[in-house]
Amino acid sequence: MEANEVARPTAHQLLEETRMEMEDVASKMLFIKQEGSSKSELRELITQMSLHFITLRKVNRSILVEEDRIKAETEAAKGPVDTTTLQLHNLLYEKNHYLKAIKACKDFRSKYPDIELVPEEEFFSSAPEEIKGKAMADDVAHDLMLKRLNFELFQRKELCKLHEKLEQHKASLLDAISSRKKFLSSLPSHLKSLKKASLPVQQHLGISHTKKLKQLHAAEFLPPPLYIVYSQLLAQKEAFGEKIEMEILGSVKDAQTFALQQVNKENGLLSNLDNTKLEDDAPDDDEDVQRRRKRPKKNVVKDSVDQSGICQLHPLNIVLHVYDDEDTGSKPSKLITLKFEYLVKLNVVCVRFEDTNEKSDSNILCNLFPDDTGLDLPHQMAKLYSGDSLAFGEKGTSYPYKWAQHLAGIDFLPEVPPINVNGDHLNAGLINVSDFSSGLALYRRQNRVQTILQRIRSRKKAQMALVEQLDSLAKLKWPSLIYENVPWALHAPLCTLQKWSPAGLIPDSSFSASIAGQATNNVDLDMDRRSVTSWEVESAREDGELPTALPVATMPVDAAASLLSEPLQLVDRSRSLALMSKNVTPMSMVKTRSFSKYEDELELVLDSDSEVEEQTYSNHLNENASSVVSKPWEDSAAKEFDFILGRNHGKDGVVKLNAKVKISIEYPLRPPIFSLSTDSGHSEWYNVLRAMEAELNLHILRVIPLHHENFILAHQIRCLAMLLDFHFDRHDAKRKSTTSVIDVGLCTPISGMILTRSVRGRDRRKMISWNGVGCMPGYPS
Amino acid sequence: MATEQEGTGGDARCWDEERYRKSILQERELRCRTVFRTAFAPSQNPNPEILVVASSDGSLSSYSLPSCIASMSQYQQLDMVTNQRTVADPLSADPLSIIQAHKGPTYDLKFYSHGENNLLFSCGDDGRLRGWNWKEILSSHIVVDKKTQGNLLKPILDLANPQHEGPWGALSPIPETNAITINEQEGSVYSAAGDARAYSWDIETGKQKMVFRGHTDYLHCISARKSSHQIITGSEDGTTRIWDCRSGLCTQIIQSGRNLKSKLSSWVSSVAIDSSESWLACGTGTGLSVWSLLSYECIFSIGHYAPVQDLLFDDNQIVAVGSEPVLTRFSINGATLSQLKCAPQSAFSVSLHPSGVIAVGGYGALVDVLSQFGSHLCTFYCMGLDNDS
Repeated sequence: MEANEVARPTAHQLLEETRMEMEDVASKMLFIKQEGSSKSELRELITQMSLHFITLRKVNRSILVEEDRIKAETEAAKGPVDTTTLQLHNLLYEKNHYLKAIKACKDFRSKYPDIELVPEEEFFSSAPEEIKGKAMADDVAHDLMLKRLNFELFQRKELCKLHEKLEQHKASLLDAISSRKKFLSSLPSHLKSLKKASLPVQQHLGISHTKKLKQLHAAEFLPPPLYIVYSQLLAQKEAFGEKIEMEILGSVKDAQTFALQQVNKENGLLSNLDNTKLEDDAPDDDEDVQRRRKRPKKNVVKDSVDQSGICQLHPLNIVLHVYDDEDTGSKPSKLITLKFEYLVKLNVVCVRFEDTNEKSDSNILCNLFPDDTGLDLPHQMAKLYSGDSLAFGEKGTSYPYKWAQHLAGIDFLPEVPPINVNGDHLNAGLINVSDFSSGLALYRRQNRVQTILQRIRSRKKAQMALVEQLDSLAKLKWPSLIYENVPWALHAPLCTLQKWSPAGLIPDSSFSASIAGQATNNVDLDMDRRSVTSWEVESAREDGELPTALPVATMPVDAAASLLSEPLQLVDRSRSLALMSKNVTPMSMVKTRSFSKYEDELELVLDSDSEVEEQTYSNHLNENASSVVSKPWEDSAAKEFDFILGRNHGKDGVVKLNAKVKISIEYPLRPPIFSLSTDSGHSEWYNVLRAMEAELNLHILRVIPLHHENFILAHQIRCLAMLLDFHFDRHDAKRKSTTSVIDVGLCTPISGMILTRSVRGRDRRKMISWNGVGCMPGYPS
Repeated sequence: MATEQEGTGGDARCWDEERYRKSILQERELRCRTVFRTAFAPSQNPNPEILVVASSDGSLSSYSLPSCIASMSQYQQLDMVTNQRTVADPLSADPLSIIQAHKGPTYDLKFYSHGENNLLFSCGDDGRLRGWNWKEILSSHIVVDKKTQGNLLKPILDLANPQHEGPWGALSPIPETNAITINEQEGSVYSAAGDARAYSWDIETGKQKMVFRGHTDYLHCISARKSSHQIITGSEDGTTRIWDCRSGLCTQIIQSGRNLKSKLSSWVSSVAIDSSESWLACGTGTGLSVWSLLSYECIFSIGHYAPVQDLLFDDNQIVAVGSEPVLTRFSINGATLSQLKCAPQSAFSVSLHPSGVIAVGGYGALVDVLSQFGSHLCTFYCMGLDNDS
């Protein structure tokens, strides 16, 4: 409307006028209406109004027509404008294109500045005429450039030809070199054969030069711990004339590559370390461990792919032959051969027992020093590193003994802090892990090599002596005694060795059970069937249950086992259970049941509680197994034997004594322990048997001189036989004869025929006085 | 545990084979040693405080029970933390004091309460009867590992059993003293000796007052019946004899050792009288028997049982131990009331504190202390004298 007003003022004015007039009319009409008079005027006004409407409409139409016309005009004018803008755009585009093309042309660079051309002066002086003379282009500069380029090309072609020629020459030279190399490589084998041929001569002349040299060369590639082992052993050998021989086995080449790798790794590690140091100054232990874990994945030595990462062995190992040092003969007998290996990742030296001829016990070196079973890793680092996955003793016969670490100069902190810190312990604490060089003075001062060699020798000898004694016992023969200055050596046993059977290694209950099973087949036919079977049952039961720590009789082993666990159990339960019920023990179960009947009114709880007790009792038997394992090193690799001594008593029948011998691997340092029992299981004999045990396990040890201690088992067996003869003989005699008052108090030595006083003291000990040796039986004074 | 650490000879670095060998032997010795007598020291405290132990290496050692119990429970708490059951070892307790009382085993010890001054009497295999000042023993603070210390303390009283003279003046060995008993009113000590006699000694003068002859074999035990001035002895010959102290004559012979079924007689290892002094219990090689001291009749007798080695009266119950690891209570009419497991495989001593706490000592140098309700208060190994030279 406004547009119309602006575009067409006349029409709009008309419109305005009309509107005003209409308003007038309307107001008039309104006025009339308000007055309420003369409707005739109103009619006129209506007609006026109608007229106005008509004019309004006319004006409106004229406005619309005008508008249409103007629109058509604008449409017509638009066409030429469009075409001209299109043309303008085309032209602009074209212009841009040309500008771009011009710029590209301007930007174009020829290659020739890159080509190193001969300088112009040289070109003019040395270029041939045919190139110089020919005109190639009109432009002078261009022509010169072309000429120069041509010359360059010519020169390069020449050089190519020369190059080819030189290549040929080089190839021919290479050929010559390779042929010469071939000759050189074949030369060592020739030399070697020559050397080999010369060996007999060397040996004949007594110069083992080559071998020594080779060994020394190999020694250079030994890992530090093994190097210390080798060098110290060598030093000991050369300084004190120890009768030992060392050899370094394994491929030196592998060791070389290994060492190289190690060096590379170190370098790599160093740079790594630098990097990490930039990132954070103090990488903590966890990262360290992780990095170490990653390492085996990255670099695995070629030849040890079959070895799992952490058990990776160093390619070199040392073989040590120990010879008997008491042998004065020209050729000393070889006692033992050991192989030292090094686990690279764990920093642990392992010892492998290499036996050539016999199927000897691989545990022979177990507990060479106290608490050194070789079954777990000696130091914490290795333990942490390997986790629980590693178990030694399964794979072959290689063990990480602590003494081997000490021999290799690897000192470590003990697992448990020493409670009584005396000087030695303090020292041990101060030496830190893998501090090789600084500890060597200490190492020498401690005489480690000598100690260990001595221990190995004495162990081997003891084991050989033990095997000899056991062999004779297995044949049911009395072992012979070399040292005869003891009463039992002169005593001809009246009793007989009726049975001797191994009860197996102690920790391995299943194994011992199978041995016991085998033993049934070996039972002598002339033996009393009934007692044999009972014995079998008993032994099988005891094998299953593991012996207790106390050297008590075999008869009440169960009792002892449960008893020892009893205090704990009782205290544990004391808060929760009724006090009265604990008076009842599982052992007396049967008896308790009978009398608990008439005490029912008093203690109703008793019966139900005792059942609980019974259950816990059986649990305790199982737990007992674990409790013994808690202090296992002394029993490690220990052997157990059962045997029966029988004594014929004519009419009375046979007296049988069951004995169980536990022979520790530390024999003879830890002498065999005997535990005795009789068939009847009657506790009447308890004190007598304990006295005999004390005699065997403790007192005669003091009687036998140290240099005969390897035969201590034989002495113990013979002494047992004598004690058995004595005790059971005396016992019968005492029952038959009456002792007179006069004789009482006058004791006689063992050989005496007059029976006087045979027992003494509150424990009714037999009175024995060893003639000449001066051992008061029963108790040390 | 501590002793082990101490005793081992180290490893390859500082190997001491002698020390290691010695430590093994010491451990063995401990396991072979026997506690022959335990006794509670008299004190004002109603709870047991100090336990005196006589053992077969001739030592007299005293142990503080509260500390033993405390360390025992500590030990067990430790176990609970580590979740391991290291029940294999009862702890080895450190004694308050230890003296070398006798050469050879010490068989018996008794307290002689004399007002403030308590005397401790001990006897042993060397035939000596020695009286010690209890306060001196306690205050001596003797450390175990000092070898000479044991001899420093001198007994107040040192009595020796007489030797018997044979033809040409040959002297018999000194008989051992197996048991002692004390009568405070008379001021005398009675000893049961190995020469089949019992002796009466005057404490003041140290003189031998009376000899009781009559047994045919050595004496195991002795007990005083103070109300009627009698002593009762048990012997290897299987009889129990009742003696009049004033005349020295045997008033009664009781064949307590004789088993009715088998004709063999067994030794009498222990005798005990109840507090009313009208009942007598005899422990024998096959069991035990109880007699009325008024009528000298056997009340009951139990055979086919492990040898009884010590017994005592607890009110009207009899507590007996023997060569079995159990402590048995009998009623006066012979019924088995209860059987308690105790640590020593063969127990030689049972002693009762007025509060009802019982101590059992026996083979393996083990002492087991049980509460009046039968729970184990503590079990420990007695340390021995380090006199191994």
